[in-house]
Amino acid sequence: MISPNRETNTVVDHFFRHQWGRVVSHLTAKFGVPHLTLVEDAVQEALAKAMQTWSFNGIPENAAGWITRVAHNQVIDALRRKQNFDKKSKELTTANGESSYTMDWDMEEEIKDDELKMMFACCHPALSAELQIILTLKILGGFSNAEVARQLLKKEDAIAKAYTRGKKKLVDEQIALEVPFGKHLTQRLSKVLRILYLLFNEGYSVTTGDMLIKASLCDEAIRLNKLILDCKRLVKPEAHALLALMYLQSSRFPARINADGQLVTLEHQNRSLWDQHLILLGKEHLELSAAFGHMSDYYIQASMARIHCEAERYQDTSWSQLLMLYDIQLHLNDSPVVFLNRVVAYGKVHGAEAAFKELTDYPKIKTLEKYPLRYAVEAELLSENGDYARAIEKLDQALALNSNAAEVAFMKEKRLRWEQRLRK
Amino acid sequence: MKEYMYLFRGGDGRELDLSPEQMQEHMQAWGVWMQGLGKTGNFVTGLPLQSEGKVVENHGEVITDGPFAEGKEIVGGYLIVKAKNLDHAAELSKECPIFLRGGTVEVREIMPMDM
Repeated sequence: MISPNRETNTVVDHFFRHQWGRVVSHLTAKFGVPHLTLVEDAVQEALAKAMQTWSFNGIPENAAGWITRVAHNQVIDALRRKQNFDKKSKELTTANGESSYTMDWDMEEEIKDDELKMMFACCHPALSAELQIILTLKILGGFSNAEVARQLLKKEDAIAKAYTRGKKKLVDEQIALEVPFGKHLTQRLSKVLRILYLLFNEGYSVTTGDMLIKASLCDEAIRLNKLILDCKRLVKPEAHALLALMYLQSSRFPARINADGQLVTLEHQNRSLWDQHLILLGKEHLELSAAFGHMSDYYIQASMARIHCEAERYQDTSWSQLLMLYDIQLHLNDSPVVFLNRVVAYGKVHGAEAAFKELTDYPKIKTLEKYPLRYAVEAELLSENGDYARAIEKLDQALALNSNAAEVAFMKEKRLRWEQRLRK
Repeated sequence: MKEYMYLFRGGDGRELDLSPEQMQEHMQAWGVWMQGLGKTGNFVTGLPLQSEGKVVENHGEVITDGPFAEGKEIVGGYLIVKAKNLDHAAELSKECPIFLRGGTVEVREIMPMDM
């Protein structure tokens, strides 16, 4: 007799999401990219069946194998139904018949490999950056169109269309499911890492979107990065550095938003909420990356995050080390945004007045005209010098350019404080 | 205590574009609900049903392949619970996660053998 199974509720977090990426990749590698949509339907059906039966019967021992087998049989059934129209699939179904199919733990490596191949295909340079993100989120992350749309601030049907276009492109351009070898590897890997970096930042930024989805974007980016590092020939310094960066940034997640849903800046975060385990993992990967003696942009960013993580209080932050890292970063990437962040560190080391001068003397200052952070930084520096009147002016300029509710609320509160000081 | 049968119709999410994450959440919600019925001693048994089937008529002269109803009308599973009366049985079904996905629960009393 059936009894409500206690294990039903203990399936690991995101199990279905991760199975989606694994099984879709595996079966697409097996049946071919042109059958991708059919494979997706099959996996969707397998997960729906799992949802239906597992809530009654509990989770089978080899849950991952169960889903793969059910999806696999579903693909075979669908291909058989198509047989009348399509001779080619007839050959396929006989070649991959159910009887020849066994699913066991030995397949773990093969499936991991298939997922990596899929990752490289989704981030293929023949696809636009946006399509790369959409394909990665849809195929590997199992996100619905609605979830992707909410994240990328697009309409749901626009995402659906883009996704169809992306899949068609995979077929038309005959993008192979493979992890490239030799001289292409480094270049292609850096493209994959770039997309993971963008995914993570999408999730990490507070500008838009649903907090829950955002956290899962970060989780996905971390999971896929770990998958890369599981593959010996993909273990490169950038991959370690990027993972280090993601771990270190994620460690601060619990402290970034307060109980009222408001943004808490680094300065005011309750540092005891920072996840020490993630910090430790981050440092480990940072050291592994350093062992290669190669300094990537990810490495510098992770080193900066590490400095913040290591300061017990905000005032303990080693600004001089940070400033040094900003100098290197600016040297590698002469971007106005990096410059602004550097100005903040510069101010902490050399004082607000010197930093303000540094900013006004910046040859590319014009490029920052529409950039709210510029005015926020200026306002902050002026306020540090006690010039609240001008600080408020600058803050208003920043406010006029910013549309992020959390940041606007934060700045308005600051403005109120400064006004009070001005009256005193 | 008498026994009652819940017949679940629709709400299995196939018609909706559920993401894997949402499916897992939904499954876990079912698990929590059923465990709750188990803890209070109301749970007896239950099983899910495949959506495909056959309808046999006239000693097999007519056999129709299913599905024989629209998605939302297909019985996706059943559950037997113990309850004081029909109202109590209906009350116990109120927290069923099927309602989150637009399904329904039909509650019927099982005829006792020792009438």
